[in-house]
Amino acid sequence: MDNPFRWRGSEIPAMLNRRQMLQTAALGLGAAALGAGGTRAAGRDIAFWASGTLDITDAGWKQFAADAGVNVAFTDNGNDPGPVVAKLAAGNANDIYDVAGLQGGSEKELAKRGLIAPWDLSKIPNYAEVWSWAKAIPYLTYEGKTYAIPTVVNADSIIVLEDKLGKDVDSYGVVFDPKLKGKTAMEDAWINSAVFAAMYLKNSENAKIEEPGNLKPDELGLVMEFLIKKKKDGQFRTFWSGWEQGVQLVANQEVWAMTGWEPIVYTARARGVKCYYAKPKEGYEGWGNNTVLLKGAVDRGLSDTAHQFANGLLDGYYGCKLGALRGYCVPTDRNVAYAEAHKTLADPTKTRELAEHVKAKFSGKVYWQNTRPDNFQLYESWWQKLRNA
Amino acid sequence: MAEAAQRVTAPRLFAGRIGRPAFLLALPPLIVLAAFGAAPLLLIVVWSFWTFDPATYWIKPDFTLVNYLGALSPDRTPVLARTAGLALLTAAISTAIAVPAASALCLFARSRLRALLLALFTIPFFTSGLVRAFAWRLVLGRDGFINQALLALGLIHAPLEWLLFSDFAVVVGMVAADLPFAIVPIVLAYAGIEASVLRASEDLGAGFWTTFRRVVLPLILPGVVSGFLFVFVVAIGASSEVQLLGGAGVSSISIMINDVMRVVNFPLAFAIATLVVVMLFLALLFAQRLLGLSKLLSELGS
Amino acid sequence: MSEAAAIGGRTQGAGPLFWAVTWLGLAIIYAPALYLLLASLNPGEQLGLVSPSAFSLVWYEALLHDRRLLAALQESAWIGGATALVAAPLGLMAAMSYRQMRRWRDAFLLAVLLAMFIPGSIEGLGLSALLKATSIKSSWLTVVAGHLVWTLPFTFTVSLVGLAAIKPVTIAAARDLGAGPFRAFVDVTLPLMRNSLIASLLFAFLLSLNEFARAYYLVGRQNTLPLHMFGAMNSGASPTIYAFSGLVLIVSFAIIGGLLMRRAAAGR
Repeated sequence: MDNPFRWRGSEIPAMLNRRQMLQTAALGLGAAALGAGGTRAAGRDIAFWASGTLDITDAGWKQFAADAGVNVAFTDNGNDPGPVVAKLAAGNANDIYDVAGLQGGSEKELAKRGLIAPWDLSKIPNYAEVWSWAKAIPYLTYEGKTYAIPTVVNADSIIVLEDKLGKDVDSYGVVFDPKLKGKTAMEDAWINSAVFAAMYLKNSENAKIEEPGNLKPDELGLVMEFLIKKKKDGQFRTFWSGWEQGVQLVANQEVWAMTGWEPIVYTARARGVKCYYAKPKEGYEGWGNNTVLLKGAVDRGLSDTAHQFANGLLDGYYGCKLGALRGYCVPTDRNVAYAEAHKTLADPTKTRELAEHVKAKFSGKVYWQNTRPDNFQLYESWWQKLRNA
Repeated sequence: MAEAAQRVTAPRLFAGRIGRPAFLLALPPLIVLAAFGAAPLLLIVVWSFWTFDPATYWIKPDFTLVNYLGALSPDRTPVLARTAGLALLTAAISTAIAVPAASALCLFARSRLRALLLALFTIPFFTSGLVRAFAWRLVLGRDGFINQALLALGLIHAPLEWLLFSDFAVVVGMVAADLPFAIVPIVLAYAGIEASVLRASEDLGAGFWTTFRRVVLPLILPGVVSGFLFVFVVAIGASSEVQLLGGAGVSSISIMINDVMRVVNFPLAFAIATLVVVMLFLALLFAQRLLGLSKLLSELGS
Repeated sequence: MSEAAAIGGRTQGAGPLFWAVTWLGLAIIYAPALYLLLASLNPGEQLGLVSPSAFSLVWYEALLHDRRLLAALQESAWIGGATALVAAPLGLMAAMSYRQMRRWRDAFLLAVLLAMFIPGSIEGLGLSALLKATSIKSSWLTVVAGHLVWTLPFTFTVSLVGLAAIKPVTIAAARDLGAGPFRAFVDVTLPLMRNSLIASLLFAFLLSLNEFARAYYLVGRQNTLPLHMFGAMNSGASPTIYAFSGLVLIVSFAIIGGLLMRRAAAGR
């Protein structure tokens, strides 16, 4: 009788073994050959740990080094102030990096805990030319000393798809419009989204809100209840977090309008999407990404180099390059001056346009973002309620 | 049959007094786990009883249960439940796919085909999981590959909105990310099945399904249980699939802990983490006492 | 070792059903990976598909010059390799000692498995704080330490399953023939455990390669691959990251294809 069931044992031949070895070896050798370290010119080195949006690519940093005399090793810190502060407070950030950049608001707590050191402005001559209203942002200083240098400032509003919603969107109401259910999005960050909602409620629905950037508990309740209701009604397609997610939502037309960062518009346009950045009548949300000096750098004797680095950021080249790459503006007129003097490295017309554009936004209604409003822990528990809704 | 052979106690690999050599062998892994796992965990547990110090935005020594009250609040516990539920669902679906797939590989395929398919199952995991999860947005989106295909075939008239930014998308993304962890242990367990055992069952008149149910499944159970456990563990710690594919503000345990740390409420984050560890420990204990987890993992045919 | 035999004949429908599920599993796993491969041939900057006539290798070329990604890849390869090479033998040791234990068996199992339940960012932060207190500098080694805790329970369990598949009579036979305990282990147990050791190494490597939360807090100045990817997704990704995924697929398929053809040429 023939055997209808002829079973195979599970003999995995050696070929599997070889495959793994070959694969790992190939990848490893390839990577080692092509990517082995970077060449480090002799000179002063600074490890800059900041949001990836502040990066100007290796080629850019090389030119920066040539101008400022400081070699910069840039590492992306993930852009989320939470883990950044945690890594500074309980982790190893102070041992590894020298200068950090993050969204403003946490400077006070970092200073209190001695994790960052005050800047000696006398060693940063270019600081004098920073736009005065940028210098006046309250959280930059603590106990009379300057702990943060405003490196990038911008005013945020809404990204709108022109083909779907026309050219005339001028209110945050578009994000909350019931006719656009399932076609809008906000950022998954209470730090921005609560401000936008508060601005809308204050100016277009006459809610009693004093400072959208620093809500009192009952004001916060009002704003969050509004967002919770909208979410329950299915208003939002999703919340986005991070550059590529934001661009993807717009480029694939998953959403027609969303609150977000201005460079998303530039990127989307460069990728062929017809969209624009709205000028809402309720105003803009202003924010600053600031550079702080880590205590570890001072301990390692790098304070002077760090000041040289900070001066370099404000010198002009960095602003031109960042503006060209991202559309972000360093708040100083030196960018335009640099562009005029170095027409091969930067475009003076574009640089001037960017600076005027940012200045114009800030001359209107602007509410400042703050990563540490007075009730910041309450913001988080409300946001958790929104998540559960 | 096979069961009788299995009841022989585990062979003594070393001569000498029972117990001593076993502990010597257990020392290196225990030391690693103690130094790098238990010590930090202990620190976290201790810190979970401290309080947030608004003066320094850090923590100060204390002994209070207020953080645990916060962790157990009705705003936080649904996240724990939801994440655990999602992880269980992902593990169940992965296992439901893995058992037939591994069985096809081990019972119906020649060794070369089996090796090829196993390799195919694992290759995508050498690429970045985050980027793969992001790619699902382009496959499942309103304008994505699947919707476009369905529209082109005339099967639907408007894009399916629920494909993306829904629980469905999260589960699909997680199963896609965790399936090999379910398949490989089952394939390993199949090594313990001899053709003679299966032939004997067939000789006794059992059809395929009967043999599969009464002989094969009990023998591969360690693989099935390990696979389920692996997928559950990886899924319960997931954050990228949930955030990328889940919709407006969907949360998971990892996302919630990150949210809480963002507002420097470290003691609350530590309390939540401790609570999660305790919860899962109790689940393990339950599995051990009532289901005999250790036997399930280490003995065929139990 | 089991005899090799192919199943044919009466499977009462199980054959087609099981194979269908297998293809389903492969389809789910490959949907995003293949999409990335195809999309990486799109010379445009936005992730998306494009018709084959427009295919271009421009991002693959850019990948070879993407110093940061390659450095992160190298770091992750080191970390993954070291983690795998330590976690696999440790897992085997734990599994072997587990099987010898009587009284402490349950506690040992729970203790080892518990390690995988510690949330990643918490474990990373806790370990980082401890390292800071003991003045140990962060580097790829500290990441390996964190990843060992994450992967050890996996290699332990895989080794348990592998050991369960070994017939005790095989070991007993070896001992009867006069082999000492060490010889029995090296000559009999180890070869029989070959597949589960490979699986242990593989799991540990893959888990480490894709692990992000612990690495964030434990890493030195050089980012790992997942951290690089996370940063790129957050602040603007060059499509080189998609080309990277595509390249891994292409290289893997090429290796497998090459091995298959060599086997076919050499005859079975």
